[in-house]
Amino acid sequence: MSKRNQLFLYSTKRILIKTLVVASGVITSVSLQAQQAEPCIGASVPLTGAASFGGEAIKMGAEIAIDEINAKGGVLGKKLAFMPYDDSGQPPKGVDNVRRIALSDNCIAMLGGYHSGVQLAMRDPVAQVGIPYVGTTAGATAIIEQENGQNKWMFRVSAKDKWVAQFLVEQAVTRSKNKKVALLYENTGWGNGGKPDVEAAMKAKGLSLVSLETFNWNDVDMTPQLLRVKDAGADTVIIWALDREGNQILRGMDKIGYRPANIVSAWGLAGNLGEIAGKLSNGVLVFQTYIWTGKLDPKGEAVWKKIQAKYKLNTPQDIKMGSGIANSYDAVYIIAQAITKAGSFDRTKVRDALFQVNYDGLVAKYEPAFEKTQERQDAILPKYYKLSAWHDGKLLPLSETPYK
Amino acid sequence: MSATVQYLLSGISIGAIYSLIGLGFSIMWSASRAANFAHGDVVMLGAVLAVVFVGQGILLTLAIPIVVLLCVIYGVLIERFAVTPFSKEVTGIGWMLSTIGIGIMLESFVTITFGSFARPLVTPLIEKPISIFGAGIYPQELLIPVFAITFLLCLELFYRRTLIGRAIRAVAFNQMAAGLMGINVKLMTAISFGIAAALGGGAGILIAPIVQASSTMGLLLGLKGFAIAIIAGITNARGVVIMGLLYGIMEKFIEGFISSAAREAIGFTVIILLLFIFPQGIFGKKEMVKV
Repeated sequence: MSKRNQLFLYSTKRILIKTLVVASGVITSVSLQAQQAEPCIGASVPLTGAASFGGEAIKMGAEIAIDEINAKGGVLGKKLAFMPYDDSGQPPKGVDNVRRIALSDNCIAMLGGYHSGVQLAMRDPVAQVGIPYVGTTAGATAIIEQENGQNKWMFRVSAKDKWVAQFLVEQAVTRSKNKKVALLYENTGWGNGGKPDVEAAMKAKGLSLVSLETFNWNDVDMTPQLLRVKDAGADTVIIWALDREGNQILRGMDKIGYRPANIVSAWGLAGNLGEIAGKLSNGVLVFQTYIWTGKLDPKGEAVWKKIQAKYKLNTPQDIKMGSGIANSYDAVYIIAQAITKAGSFDRTKVRDALFQVNYDGLVAKYEPAFEKTQERQDAILPKYYKLSAWHDGKLLPLSETPYK
Repeated sequence: MSATVQYLLSGISIGAIYSLIGLGFSIMWSASRAANFAHGDVVMLGAVLAVVFVGQGILLTLAIPIVVLLCVIYGVLIERFAVTPFSKEVTGIGWMLSTIGIGIMLESFVTITFGSFARPLVTPLIEKPISIFGAGIYPQELLIPVFAITFLLCLELFYRRTLIGRAIRAVAFNQMAAGLMGINVKLMTAISFGIAAALGGGAGILIAPIVQASSTMGLLLGLKGFAIAIIAGITNARGVVIMGLLYGIMEKFIEGFISSAAREAIGFTVIILLLFIFPQGIFGKKEMVKV
């Protein structure tokens, strides 16, 4: 080998080694950077479509909380940003939003939205990208209590359908005189998820539903289902529906001359049922995690005043899906505390710190917010569940209505 | 007995809604061999505008003609800018995409401005149900089939007895020949779309007290109305109304005697089977094309 060739090989070797050293340095710094997320909280919520009011509620609560946190200097000296994306209630859009929030925006955590079907579709991408997810409204049990028992990233500051079903069944059975309870549920991910929970809750009481009926969104007439419920002799009906279909159920009852003694509902009827069903809605009991109408505690009053000013609302009656506002408000504070406890914008550390957060929130005293079992990756315990009732077009705390 | 009557009455009411929407498709198709594919959204527009005007304190009786007029303008604009430019070729189907696109835009706009909640249109006809052989129904629900049949009769009179009606029939039969005979084909097409939109808007006002006005209310109704028009034979207006009523009744009996979950599965299976047996629709006639 000539001296010239030897020199060439030597130089090439040196260049290669230098390139590898530089490249490995770049890769290390890039991977270190990737571990440090940005001080932003993303959200995948319906901002268009039939349930956009639910997305708006989540957005309101999160924005108020972030404004408050930033007014006090932010978290770890950095101001928090909020990045909400529209999922329109469609699972593919929710999946896309997870990737956008985690990979493109590189947010430290994200809030979950309104539709259970969307959140269920988001379970795999959330686990794949590894971002702390805190649900704020959708209640399907399997979002958090996943079948494989391997939920590491998903948490919830909202109602859990399993517990809601137990709560509603308790309310229904206590009120029922003949212990004949029927269930009317919507044919969606939320409704189909709630059905086995209600059945299990009834079974735990040694009872079974006397009638089990379903319907689709936008159904105009429910009389066939209601005739069966009536024939079964149910004096108490549990409704798992949204306002529009809830109205059709009440009108169907009106048409066939059947009004059960008790109507108990999941929080889907907490929107504008009073407006569309009028007096037929009187006495319908609705589960909630937070009620803005009626007498508020000082903390609730202060938050309401901020909501009123920011979103130009007149009265608490203007709030739709108020539980979503309170849940997302608390969820943001819990995430902020977890970041502070983690001491960095590292998603894994923040996820682990979520188990150490103790926080006296709007909805509940979170002591602690979460525990290391799938069942307790839900923060709002059943003891904080509340019952409201429709009366003359207003949704009020049960104690402030003529109903028991 | 009362359950059967209940299914029958409820079925006639919901079927009449399908009939009205199917009739709109029939009117548009007959004149131009094209249609506003998002015709369900015209129904939504009528309902939403009525709720908005009544909410502003305008009397419903005064709001109705204003809403219908606005819907007519919308229908004619759709025909002018979203249908005609894309249906010049006999095989052109670009109008499908353009009308669906405008429908989606309209829905989004209404969601933003009107809100996502369903809102009521209050009329005294849904305050108290009436009892017929033990079955209950709101008077407003009975008004829908009465309106559908009355409109059909008026439409047939219009087609047969008026100059414009005859001109539209001539255009439906053969556009080129009608044009050569001095009929303004463009104008007749626009009038047809206007009539269909007026019917859609009117249907929206009529059904809003029952289904509640919302940005998404027209989607499924539009799809079912279109399906009804196809299986009836889209050019046969009388057939469309009959088919709509029968389909509505069938749905309620499926819900009553099988289950509500089976309604769409069985309903659309029946539609597909009928299309296999009657490719031109049950009341349709095979069209001969001379080459």
